[in-house]
Amino acid sequence: MSNSPKIFTLKQVVTSVRKTIEDRYANLYWVKAEMHKLNQFPSGHCFPELLQKENGKIVAQISGSIWKHNFERINTRFIEVVKEPIKDDTTLLLQVKVNFHELYGLSLQIMDIDPNYALGELQKEREDTLRRLQKEGLINKNQGLDFPVLPKRIAVISAESSKGLSDFMQVISKNPWNYRFFTMLFPASLQGDNAARSISDQLERIHRVKHHFDCVVIVRGGGGEVGLSCYNNYSLCKNIASFSLPILTGIGHSTNLTVAEMISYRNAITPTELGDFLIQAFHNFSVPVKNTIKRIKASSLVITSEAQLRLKSESKLFKNVVKQTVMQNKQIVNSSLKELASSVKFSVLHQQNSIRKNEQGVYRNARFLVSNQTSELGKLNVSLPVVVKAKFLSETNKVINIAQSIRLMDPINVLNRGFSITLLNGKTIGKNNKVKNGDLILTKTATFNVKSKVEITENNE
Amino acid sequence: MSDKIKYTDAFDELQQIVLDIEDGEISVDELSVKVKRASELIKICKEKLSSTEEDVNLILKELEE
Repeated sequence: MSNSPKIFTLKQVVTSVRKTIEDRYANLYWVKAEMHKLNQFPSGHCFPELLQKENGKIVAQISGSIWKHNFERINTRFIEVVKEPIKDDTTLLLQVKVNFHELYGLSLQIMDIDPNYALGELQKEREDTLRRLQKEGLINKNQGLDFPVLPKRIAVISAESSKGLSDFMQVISKNPWNYRFFTMLFPASLQGDNAARSISDQLERIHRVKHHFDCVVIVRGGGGEVGLSCYNNYSLCKNIASFSLPILTGIGHSTNLTVAEMISYRNAITPTELGDFLIQAFHNFSVPVKNTIKRIKASSLVITSEAQLRLKSESKLFKNVVKQTVMQNKQIVNSSLKELASSVKFSVLHQQNSIRKNEQGVYRNARFLVSNQTSELGKLNVSLPVVVKAKFLSETNKVINIAQSIRLMDPINVLNRGFSITLLNGKTIGKNNKVKNGDLILTKTATFNVKSKVEITENNE
Repeated sequence: MSDKIKYTDAFDELQQIVLDIEDGEISVDELSVKVKRASELIKICKEKLSSTEEDVNLILKELEE
C-alpha cells in the first residue's frame, strides 16, 4: 500500500494550484494583449477574451475579468484620453493580476488599462492595410463606381449554411413589392485564416462573368466575432477596392469596422440591412416612377383645365366682339340706309324737278317748233302757187319749143321742100340694103309715091 | 449592361417628359403625345422591377470555359 500513489481530491489540487499561482504571481504585471471582446455583463462586470496573434494566427488566449468599479474608473480615463470607449478587437496594455479560482479556473483580473497603448495589433494591421491602400490610390476606388440604378443581378459571396445568407435572401426574395432579384451564390469561407484567400478566389470567378451582374455582396452572420481579422487582410481589401463592380458588405455585428467594410461600395451592419438597402434602391427607382405618374396626371390636369379656361374666356370674348361688331355694323347699315333713303328722296325730287323743267322746255320747244313750222307752211302756201305757176309756164314753153323743133324735123317738111326718099323693100338704100338691077324701088315725095324698076346702078363712092 | 442602359434611358426620358410637362410651355396636342410616350416608359420601368433575365446555367457554362 505504501507504493500506492497518493490520491488527492480535485479541490485539494485546484486549491494547491491557486495557492501556487498566488504565491508565484503575487505582483501586478503589465501585459500587452489584444482584447477581442469586452463582454460587459448587465451586472457591469466585464469578462473579456484576451489573445495574442502572430502572423494573423492566435498564439495565446486567456479569459479576463474587470470588476464593475474598476471598469468604470478605467473606462472614464480611457475615454478622456482616447476620445473613444474601449472597443473590441484592440490591443491594450493591461495591468493584471493572475487569478485562479477553484470553480472558474485561470483568468487575468484586469486592474488597469493604459489608454496610451490603445492601438492593438489588429488595429495596426488595419492601419497598415488602410495606409497601403491609401498610398496606392485604391481606398475610394470601389466607392467611386457608378451604382446601378437597379441592382437586380447580384453575385453573392457567402456560405450556404450561413444565417446571414438566409436573412439576406429572405429580405430580397420575399419582398411585398414584387421586386425581382437574380442572385447566384459563390460559396466561400467567411471567417478565419482561409477566408481572405477563399473570398478573393470567388471575386476572381465573378470577374470572369461580371457582365451578368450589377453588384457583389459579401454576407456573413450567425457566427462568432472571432476571426473577422481576415477582413483587414491587405490582399483581400485590395481585391475588393479594385473590383470593377460595386461590392456591398454585410459581415456581422462587429462594432469595429474592418477595412473591407470601410472600402467596400457600401457596408451594412447586418445582411438584413444590406437586403433592405437593395430593396431601397428599387424603391428609389420605383417611387419616382410612381411619382412621375402623379406628376404627369397633376400637370396634365392643370394644362387641360387652363386650356379649357382659356377657350371659355376666348369664346366669351369672341362672342362679345362678334356682338359688338354686329351692333356696330347694324348701326352703320341703319345710318347708311337712312342716308340712302334721304339721298334717293333728294335724287328723285331733283330728277322730278329736272323732268318738270324738261317737260316745260319740251312744251315750249314743241310749241315754238309747231308755230315755226306753221308759219313756214304759211309762207310755202303763199309761195307755192307762184312757183308752181312759173314752173308750169317754163315747162310749157319748153314743150312748145320742143314741139316746134320736132315739127321742123318731120320728113314731110323736107319732102315739102322738094326732097324725096327711095326705099327698097321698105328700107332706105345704103350699104346694108344694096340695090341691084331689076329691083323694084319706091320713091316717096311730098305728094306722090313712084314705083320704078332699076336699070342702071352706079356706085357714088 | 445593355439592359442597364435601357432602363436608365427609359427613366431619364421619363423624367425629361415630366419636366417638359411641368414647365407648362406645352400645347394640349403635344401633351397627349408626351403622355402616351410616358405611359410606355412607365410600363418599361415597371417591368424592369419585376423581371429577371439571367440564366444560372449560362453563367456556369461561361465559368467552365
